Amino acid sequence: MGSQTNPNSKSRFSLVSHSTDSPARKIPSRAVKWIRGALVTITLICVWLSVRFPYEVESGLEHWLNGPDRVNPQTLHLEGEFVESNLGAVEESGDVVVRMIAEQYLFVPQCVVVPAGVLVRLRITSADVVHKPTVENVAELKAVPGYVVEHHLQFPKPGQYQMPCREFCGPGHYAMRSFLTAVPLDRFRSLSREARMSCAAR
Amino acid sequence: MQPASLPIKTRSGIKCHVGIAVLCLLAATVFWASPRLVGWDVPQPPARVPSNVAWTAETISEASSGNALRGLLIARRCERCHGREGFSSSPVVPNIAGMNPLVVWKQLDDFRSGKRGSRAMQPIANALTGQDSADIAAYYAMMPVSPDPQDDRSFPQPLADPQHEAVAIRLITAGDGSRGIPPCQACHGPIGSVTGAPSLATQNASYLLDQIEAFANDIRSNDINLRMRTIARQLTEDERHALAESYGAGLGEQSGGTAGH
Repeated sequence: MGSQTNPNSKSRFSLVSHSTDSPARKIPSRAVKWIRGALVTITLICVWLSVRFPYEVESGLEHWLNGPDRVNPQTLHLEGEFVESNLGAVEESGDVVVRMIAEQYLFVPQCVVVPAGVLVRLRITSADVVHKPTVENVAELKAVPGYVVEHHLQFPKPGQYQMPCREFCGPGHYAMRSFLTAVPLDRFRSLSREARMSCAAR
Repeated sequence: MQPASLPIKTRSGIKCHVGIAVLCLLAATVFWASPRLVGWDVPQPPARVPSNVAWTAETISEASSGNALRGLLIARRCERCHGREGFSSSPVVPNIAGMNPLVVWKQLDDFRSGKRGSRAMQPIANALTGQDSADIAAYYAMMPVSPDPQDDRSFPQPLADPQHEAVAIRLITAGDGSRGIPPCQACHGPIGSVTGAPSLATQNASYLLDQIEAFANDIRSNDINLRMRTIARQLTEDERHALAESYGAGLGEQSGGTAGH
């Protein structure tokens, strides 16, 4: 048996150890086992991550491929995502997206209707300085001039959530506040774009 | 020797499976993420532009580099309505003496582009170039706001309702945090300023009330990023009158103080 060596299987990979007893049966070396195990573990972690944190993985990929989302804070009203006809809450490919501008000393739109119990993608940027919109019991966010910051919020139950600014941004800072009203999803869908931006209900 | 070859096959089979799984995962991720990355699913509603002016460094330098002497000559065509020294005799016409040049320049540009509607101002602004606007702005920025017995300004007008003073002073100095209304003076002076926001200290009451109403009803919508439209909508009818009257009576400059909570 030892004399019948298979020429095809002879040390093509230095990582494979050869047994003189059974040359055909390649026993993987310890290094190969470790590499294989690591690959399987990484794959499993990737699968788990993309199932458990799909939005984080997506924005991570976006960030990795495109770099950070940049905007010019001086020309927000002229072009791009934050022109005034594009602000407010919309449903885009199954996600609820809210676009907002933070500026001295307002959040626009000031009143937004959002669905409760659903993940809401809040895309916010600042027109001047750093603001920190804070939704009580939900999240503390950051609006940075020059960047679009995307936050994923979930409003636990219907009701009104106030969103004041929690980073001193100038003499009008203490009155800087916006109002998010969480309603059931079907009610949210029945409202028009204008009605989702109205302060009239308060 | 036949059975001995079996494990080799099996092993390569496992390798294959892992490879395929990784490939599938990659493909799925790319397939799922690509429309978002490319931006296919972002709908594009027709963009509404409130004003063609953006406060970039070039715009600011263009608007603030006017020649006041040339402005003095061009401003002869403004004096019938806005007064010889920028103070109007009619309370519905704005006073522009001592105004920040960026403010005058932006409004003239908005009149020219039709972003701010006015039957009186649009033809006048159409006849001006950007340089003319900058010169006029530089001229009026030099005009003093101190009282002058020679011009027939309508500016300080008495309050129609003395009750209004307290309401207005509160809004001017502190705003109303419960409704998200910032204090007026944080942007319009004297304690704070925002690029393009006019000083209201010597503004006429009737003109101010017209503008607040126009912002609230979307008749005037040339404010960048919806600032004044958002605020004016939140003000009650009484507050709009109170603010216009108090600024028109010259109380805006005196209020001062700090923004309270």
